[in-house]
This record gives sequence, C-alpha cells and structure tokens, in this order.
Amino acid sequence: MSDNPVLIEMRGVTKHYGGVAAVEGVDFTLRKGEIHALLGENGAGKSTLTKLMAGVVQPSAGEILLEGVPASFTSPADAMRRGINMVYQENSLVPSMTVAQNIFLGDERFFNKLRPLYIAAQQFLQSLNFNVDPWASVAGLGVAKKQMVEIARAVRQNARVIVFDEPTASLTPEEKHHFFALVRRLKSDGVSVVFISHALEEALEISDRITILRDGKLVISDDRSKFDRERIVTAMVGRALSKDLYGDETKTRRKPGERMLSVQNLSMGKVVRNTSFTVYAGQVTGMFGLIGSGRTETAKIIAGIAKRNFLHGGETRLGDQSVRYRVPRQAVRDGIVYVTEDRKVEGFFDTMSIAENVGVGHIAAGFNKGQVVRTSEIVAIARGWSERLAIRSINADARVIELSGGNQQKVVIAKSLVQKPRIIIFDEPTRGVDVGAIAEIHQLIERLADDGLAVIVISSYLPEILSLSDRILVCQKGRVVEEFRTEDATEEKIMYAAVH
Amino acid sequence: MKPSSTAFAFTQERIVIAITLALLVVFSLTLNSFLTAGNILALIQNVSILGILGVAMALAIIGRGIDLSIVATMAVSVAWVLQLSNNGVPIDLAILMGLGLALAIGLVNGFLVAYVEIPAIFATLAMGTVAYGFVRSLLLDDNLIYLKGASDTWFKWIGSGQVLGVPNAVLLFGLVALVAHAMLRVTVPGRFLYAMGDNPVAARSTGVPIRPLILLQYVTAAAIAFIAGVIAATSVDSVETRVARSNLVYDIILVVVIGGVGLSGGKGSIRNVIVGTLMIGVLVNGMTIMNVPYTLQNIIKSLILLAAIVVDSIVNPRDEQTSQQGDI
Repeated sequence: MSDNPVLIEMRGVTKHYGGVAAVEGVDFTLRKGEIHALLGENGAGKSTLTKLMAGVVQPSAGEILLEGVPASFTSPADAMRRGINMVYQENSLVPSMTVAQNIFLGDERFFNKLRPLYIAAQQFLQSLNFNVDPWASVAGLGVAKKQMVEIARAVRQNARVIVFDEPTASLTPEEKHHFFALVRRLKSDGVSVVFISHALEEALEISDRITILRDGKLVISDDRSKFDRERIVTAMVGRALSKDLYGDETKTRRKPGERMLSVQNLSMGKVVRNTSFTVYAGQVTGMFGLIGSGRTETAKIIAGIAKRNFLHGGETRLGDQSVRYRVPRQAVRDGIVYVTEDRKVEGFFDTMSIAENVGVGHIAAGFNKGQVVRTSEIVAIARGWSERLAIRSINADARVIELSGGNQQKVVIAKSLVQKPRIIIFDEPTRGVDVGAIAEIHQLIERLADDGLAVIVISSYLPEILSLSDRILVCQKGRVVEEFRTEDATEEKIMYAAVH
Repeated sequence: MKPSSTAFAFTQERIVIAITLALLVVFSLTLNSFLTAGNILALIQNVSILGILGVAMALAIIGRGIDLSIVATMAVSVAWVLQLSNNGVPIDLAILMGLGLALAIGLVNGFLVAYVEIPAIFATLAMGTVAYGFVRSLLLDDNLIYLKGASDTWFKWIGSGQVLGVPNAVLLFGLVALVAHAMLRVTVPGRFLYAMGDNPVAARSTGVPIRPLILLQYVTAAAIAFIAGVIAATSVDSVETRVARSNLVYDIILVVVIGGVGLSGGKGSIRNVIVGTLMIGVLVNGMTIMNVPYTLQNIIKSLILLAAIVVDSIVNPRDEQTSQQGDI
C-alpha cells in the first residue's frame, strides 16, 4: 500500500472551536486506493479531522495538500467537486423522494423526465452491484440500504475519497458484511476510503492503515499489520484497559434471585410475536438479536412506552402480579425503567442542565412531596449521582447537549436510576460512547446487578453481551428463541440462534 | 466541547432589553412628555392586557404548543358575562359562568391536542373559530356588548380602579406574571411543562403525565385569557367580540417571541414575556406621542422582531458545529 501515490496530505492542521482546540497540529496522509481507519475516543477530534478534509470546516492553522498542491476547500460542495465526499452518520437523504431521485439530487435537468432517470439509476445501481429498487421511497429503506444510496450518490459524483462517519454503528452483522464487501470494491476501483469507527475489530479487519487520535492530537498512524487490539486500545486511551472492557472470561456468574418479571405470549402487531421469557433479580439478563428481532419493541411494551396502536395480547407479570401499562408513568411508579438506545431523540432534555434532567426523573417518579419543587434538594441529589457515575462536565450548569456522548449517556442513566427502579432495561447502553466511558458503564451495570436489581441489557455487540450477562436471551423475528447460560454460550452459538 | 458561556452572553432577551433601554433614553431626551410618572404608568397600562395574554401564550408555547384561540376565548367568555349581567343575572354568578365557558374552551383545546393528537396550531385555530361562532350565534345578541348591568358594582373597579395611584391593570399584569413565573419555576407541573416542551418523547418515557399536563396547559391559558378579558372589558365598559377576528393574536405571539421564548418549546420564561411586552409598550407609546401612523407602527414593530431574531441567530448560531459539540 505504501507505494501508492499520496492523495491527501494534511500538515499540522489545527482547528479551534472558541478557545478549545478540537484538533491540534495533526499530520495525516491518505493514499490512493487505501482504506484508512480513524480511531479515537469521543472528543478525540476524529469528526473534526474528517470535516476539515471534506471542507465542512476550515482549519485555523496548517495546510491541506491535494495531490501535492495546497488546497483550501471553502465548502463541502467545493470539496465534492474535487472528489471528496462525506457520508454522515445522520443520513443526508430526502426521505420522501425515491432512491433514483436521491441519487440524482441536485443534478437533474431542468425538464426532469422520470423514466430516463430511473433507467439510469437502475443501471448505475446494478453496475455497483447494489440490490436497491430505484423506485422505492427512501423513507421505507433500512439503514444499510440508505447507506448504499448515499454511497451510490458519492460514487456517481466521481468521488475519489469517501469519508464515512461511523458507518457500521446501526448495521446488523450481515449488513456489515455487505458494507465491507462494498468498501473493498471501492478500493479496487481506486477510491480511497476513510472511516471513523468505535469498533476496533472492524478497523483491524478491513483497513490498510490506522490512525489514532487522542485529545485532538495524533498518537500514531501506521500500517494495520503493526497493530493489535491491545495496542490500539492503549493508544486510544493512553493506558491499557482491554481486560476490564470485554475480556476476562473467568469471572463468576451470578445466580438468579427471585423471579421479577415474567412475560407470557406477548404480541404486538408484526414486531413482537408471542414472546415469552423470565427475568430474575440480582443478575444481568442479556438480550441479543439482529435489527428487526423486536428486542427494543418488547422492552418498550414492558416499560409501557409502546403506544397501543396494535392490539397486543399476552401477559406480563411483575412478581406475582399481572400488570399492563398504558403509559410509562405507571411502569416507572412500579419500578420498571427503560434506558433508550437513542438518547438524543428520546433520552435527555437538551436545554436543561444535568441537575434539571435528573430532577425531572426524581419528580416524575413521585419522590417530590407536594407540588412545590425543592430545587436545592434536587441539586444535591443530582450532585450525588454525578459523583457516583463520574459525570464530567465543565461546570455544573452546563447543558447536557454540550457534554460528550459518554457523559450524556451517564446523565440518561442517572435520570433513570434516581427513580429507584427494581427492573432496569438498558438498550444499547454503550452506543456512541467512548472507550473510557464504556468501561465505566459496564462496571455500573455489574454493580446494579450485585445490588439486587433485575438488569436487562439489549446489545448488538456480542463481546458486550458475553462479558456482561449472567444469562443470555436470543431474539429472532419478534420472539425469544433461545436461552443460554453464559458459561455455555459462544459468539457462534448465539449468532446461529439469532439468524436461524 | 464549547467553552462555558461567558458571564455576559448576548442572548435575544438581553438584546431586547438593550433596545428597550436605548428607546427609553432616546424618547426621554427627544419627547418632553415621555418621561413622566403618568405617561410611564399609562404606557404599562396600555400593554398590560397584551402582557397578560402573552403570559397565557407563553405557557402554551413553552410546552411545545400554541394557543391561537386565546383572543376568541377571552372575547366570547367575557362578552357572555356582560350579556348575562345585563339580562339580570347577579354579577358573581355571571363571572363564574363566563369562567366556566373559558375553561371549557381550554379543555376542548387540550383534549384535541392531548388525546386526539391534532397539532396544536390546527386544533386551536379551529377551536377559536368554533367558539366565536357558537357563542356569538347562540349566546350573544350583538357583536358589541356593553357593560350596563354591573356598571356600578365592584366588577367595574377591576379594570378601571387603582391602588395607591397604580392602575389595577398594571397590578394584575404583575400578579399574573408573578404567579405564572412561580408556577413554572418551582412547581411540579411547571418543571414538567419545560421537560415536555424540550423533549416530549423523553418526558413521556421518564414518567411525566403528558396528556393531563397538556389539558392543564390549555385550561390555564384559557383562565388567564379570561382574566385579561375581564380587565379589558371593565376598563372600556364593553367587549367587542370581533376582536377575535383581528390580528391581536399575532401581537401576542410577537411579545412572547421577541423577548426570547423559543417557538420550538422548552425555552424561555415569563421574564422574557415581560421584557417583550415592555419593549413593545415603550415603542408604541413613543411612536404614538410622535404621531406615527398606525400602519407604519406595525411595520416598525415587525422589523424589530425580525431584527431581534436575526441578531439572535447570528450571536447564538444553531448550526452543525454547535449542535454537535459533544462530537468533535
């Protein structure tokens, strides 16, 4: 790889936001036709570096060379004209339009005849070997297919560089395989690919070179063969902690306590079909399943969050009592809380401070006596939780939107824990969370189970499921199909149950 | 990560305060009748109805709603009170019935938004027209109802009297604002209202009783509108129900938004409403003394609103950089 010509070279680039340097003096080279993984904790400056590359922001200092010639991109459109495209985490497609319309968006003729457009789109998608219907509306597509459309759009614009910001975060394992195959094909066509990821295995599996950033500075940039898991993690966090992350097979599993929750034949529409399972106090019950397996929906029915648009039958027993919640409030009062997988949309209150967020949880659980809120009491409670969960913020009044992903997640968890739950459901607790905070959140989950709570962890990441759970439920097409004791489970067995 | 906000940030509210103070200074220097105790009281009195309606509107907007029926609610409920008392119903009973009518309109608004899940802007727009049409055709004899039956009772004193030289309208504006402020800041429903306005989905999952809260929100707004109506009716001895068809509702939204209450919900407080109201009061008062024509006054008002919003979005940009501060 190292003999390929250099396409982009960044020399000592620095970008300040306000007074804070997001990246500082970073050197970065991207060769033609290489797959380059960009790793680092949240806030390490990965996104900023790629934004500099794609012309979204301009560097405060340093220079960017495109094929050896100094270049400054005034806008993303400018960078795109020179062949640098960025595919964002949040889709930049127009949901109400069809696939073909999206591919040609901004490039239509004045009299935009539809038929030739669809034929062209069809041919183009076939040439890329993408199985996407050009007539389908984007709103109805799955995440992976949306990504294919985005990539098709980038390729059609003759992209020489495609930057992916966390492309695999919302993909199922099989979709991930498709994605990797695609990236390899792009590479063989001479396109350079930069991708940001939190999953180290992916970087090791697919990339040619790996660059690691920490606190806005370059730590190391080298060929993949020079790296292993241990070295990457050490470089990312500046200390070795992989054992307390996912390793340690030898830990003892907790015995089930009393039966807290038993679900019998629960159904909702086509998403949850006749599922039955039991959850015990004092242990972590892992729930694994691919996208569409109904894990999240099942959890939302239990916590009363799912609206009853479809009739759903079945019974949920809390202890010995049959319960059926119409609104989450009733579940919260009964001690069942759900920590969402999508904290920005349904997790926290972004205009509020940490204390106000935790305060809403406290009040909503009915712990505030009377109708007058005692602010000082809530501030004290919130400070206690901030310390217990090690929530780091610049100042106590900082709004939650200003915190890093890991700290935002901790606020959402604190807001739920303040409600003194007996059953707590974590849905993808470490999605979009930096490595350091992942370890802390895992320790917290273990501690909650040790304290006697019934903990359910929903995750698509097998190492996480295997390291956290005391028993593992595998969901497939809306129901729990297998149950493992973690001692007996392997990644292969779980995956086999999830797809068959 | 963003550096923590400095001690003095140029928020929209502060910009509006600065403009207001600048106007005060300019008018005091150039208009010799401006800076007198009488004129200042008159100034506040003139906008106090608008301010009270602004408080009601702010409650709806902070909870991520809006109440376009607020003027109709105010007009028809108080017109009915006058009509009843003119027909010989004792005034206290008439007030109770009128208040009941206002609360009923608010309840229907809340029901439509909370349970039928119609967007607030459509539900209240329709409800305003329905309420006006029904009450006007079924309960009222005329568009313009005079205060006759209760013109020499304590009722008349509400909008026309004064305490220690301060007009009641001003005092009531202060009282309503104070109570609403306290409610928003330190009561359970107040905290819930902010949470709901900020993120209704998260609020629901956290266990906030969303639907009862929306009912409360619109019922309270209607009750405050009724208070504003009573003050208005008793200060001019009549109610013109066709005010429901005027663009008063836009002026109300103007004073709410100009002070810095965010239309997207969860942002702002009653203080912002007071700031917005005072600014419009000073402006209108000064322009009236200068004999600026009414149409031109409207143009100036709207230009100032635009300016405040533009300046706010320049100093407090909401773009990709600031919205993704956690992810640099």
